Amino acid sequence: MKKILTILTLAVAIAGCNKKEDKKNSADGQDVRATEIKTDRIVSLNGAITETLASMDASGNIVGRDVTSTFPADLKATNLGHVRSITAESILALKPTVVFGTTKDINPNLNEQLKNANISLILINQEYTVDGTKKLITDVATTLKKDNFQPILDNISSKIATVKPFVKKPKVLFIYARGAGNLMVAGKETPLHSMIELAGAENAAADLTDFKPLTPEALLTTNPDVILMFDSGLKSLGGVEGLLKVEGIAATNAGKNKKVVTMDGQLLSGFGPRLGEAVVELHNKLQ
Amino acid sequence: MKKKIAVYKITFFLLLIVALVTALYLGAYDFSQSMIEIIGTYLRTGVHTPDSYVLIELRIPRILMAVLTGSALAISGTSLQGLFKNPLASPDLIGITSGAVLFAALTIVFGSTVMHLLPPFFRYALLSIMAFLGALLTMLFVYKMATSNGKTHILILLLSGVAITALTGAVTGFLTYISTEEELRNITFWSLGSLAGSNWWKVCLVFIVVAFGSIQLLRKGKTLNALMLGEKEAAHLGFDIEKNKRQIIVISSLMVGSVVAFNGTIGFIGLVIPYILRFVFNSNYNILLPLSMLLGAVVLLVADTISRLIVIPAELPIGILTAIMGAPIFISILINYKRKL
Repeated sequence: MKKILTILTLAVAIAGCNKKEDKKNSADGQDVRATEIKTDRIVSLNGAITETLASMDASGNIVGRDVTSTFPADLKATNLGHVRSITAESILALKPTVVFGTTKDINPNLNEQLKNANISLILINQEYTVDGTKKLITDVATTLKKDNFQPILDNISSKIATVKPFVKKPKVLFIYARGAGNLMVAGKETPLHSMIELAGAENAAADLTDFKPLTPEALLTTNPDVILMFDSGLKSLGGVEGLLKVEGIAATNAGKNKKVVTMDGQLLSGFGPRLGEAVVELHNKLQ
Repeated sequence: MKKKIAVYKITFFLLLIVALVTALYLGAYDFSQSMIEIIGTYLRTGVHTPDSYVLIELRIPRILMAVLTGSALAISGTSLQGLFKNPLASPDLIGITSGAVLFAALTIVFGSTVMHLLPPFFRYALLSIMAFLGALLTMLFVYKMATSNGKTHILILLLSGVAITALTGAVTGFLTYISTEEELRNITFWSLGSLAGSNWWKVCLVFIVVAFGSIQLLRKGKTLNALMLGEKEAAHLGFDIEKNKRQIIVISSLMVGSVVAFNGTIGFIGLVIPYILRFVFNSNYNILLPLSMLLGAVVLLVADTISRLIVIPAELPIGILTAIMGAPIFISILINYKRKL
């Protein structure tokens, strides 16, 4: 009796699964048809995209944002927290018509769930270059069917064109800090690396790739002239005094001359429409 | 006594129903229609509205997954404790969960080329088979290490668990750093678990495994009761101990493995549930096994619902909640243990 029961249960379960497959196929069919993208309720899961939307006067349509979307400060959207811990349900609760994000931020699970929910998901492959930023702005504008984006692109180019090369390139080290126990330096393939180069300086940690933990020895080998940080990062260490207490910092050129430059995190690393301003600001601060 | 057990069974069942309904209605998303209307509309049109999508594709599979996972972990925990004759022998403490995590992570990294080609059901099946193998190998290793002459040395059992958990932690940690696969990068998922990725495919697969496994394990009550006397004594009573042991080991590994492959490590359920039940029913496995399934389902469902609600719109990893419930009980078991020494 029990064996029969087992077999029956399994049969029902497998049949249930097969049925599900048919349903999936028809759902895919609908995906293709839904090409018209409505942009009246937007969830933006990337700071640069949020800025771009705002620069095209769409900030009123943004109903949800992630934790990096800090600009403009008067945004009235719900903060959904860090993009990696956002769940499909909390996004859908905002009843969005379109969700913007970058390919590397959105995990495949969420991606799939949103796609199946018939939400238009616009994923942009964000590259940390001037051209990449322009492409991001163009992509967002195309989705919104706006054509007033050319001035934004021109603004970036003209601002960057004003940056004069340094006589002697300063060696800049970016330190990401969340308290003294959590210090990382930015190597190649990070937005900070590109920013430092755009501002005409040299990344002291260019031998490394991605963000790597800061070690005193590496600090002395690279010996940066300037230390670059986010405003919030320096604050978490307790200001310049706190930074100098970190082992190895005081012995570098930057530490000896107390040459520490800070900028707003989203402005410095966002690669959004304010890229031009950011490059100019960094360049001026490095002088 | 029989009456009392029936009362408990019904109470737990009612609790489960209450928890199910509550979980169904609570969450970040507010439905504009009633549940029945939403499901009705979906069945008539076959097209998802946002309401029906959240309900049918996100919330219901997740709730079912919580129920299945809770009951699978609890009944495996109960059976293993019976097998090892010790209340500390739960799948997470003796390293079986870790073994499953290790194999699941390895499959994701090295099987990624094959996995993308497979249809979802087989992809998930492959993952859970590998996790099962990981669980089974660890189980055999731990068992061989800790048992001699039919006696289990609980110290060696737990220390083998510690060793395997450390090894797995190291390898999984390393893999999350080198891997480009997004699903593996999320180390909190593997260490603290989450039911957020549940879909009907996974629910189907886990249902098949749990249904098959629990039907088998539910019949082991008498054997486990006899085992309490000792292995030789149980054999004299006419039980085929070796065969039963093998079955319990394989089936528990299968259940733990498939659950871990989809939900990560959810600790302490296999420890806490039998412990609570033993307070009331002593160690009668005929009662413990079915009741542990029910209570496991209730507890995990409640924990998952809390994890969805407590930090809306974000979510707490469910392992944090089960550890808060489980760690004090773990400590109290240790205190009892010390008194006996």
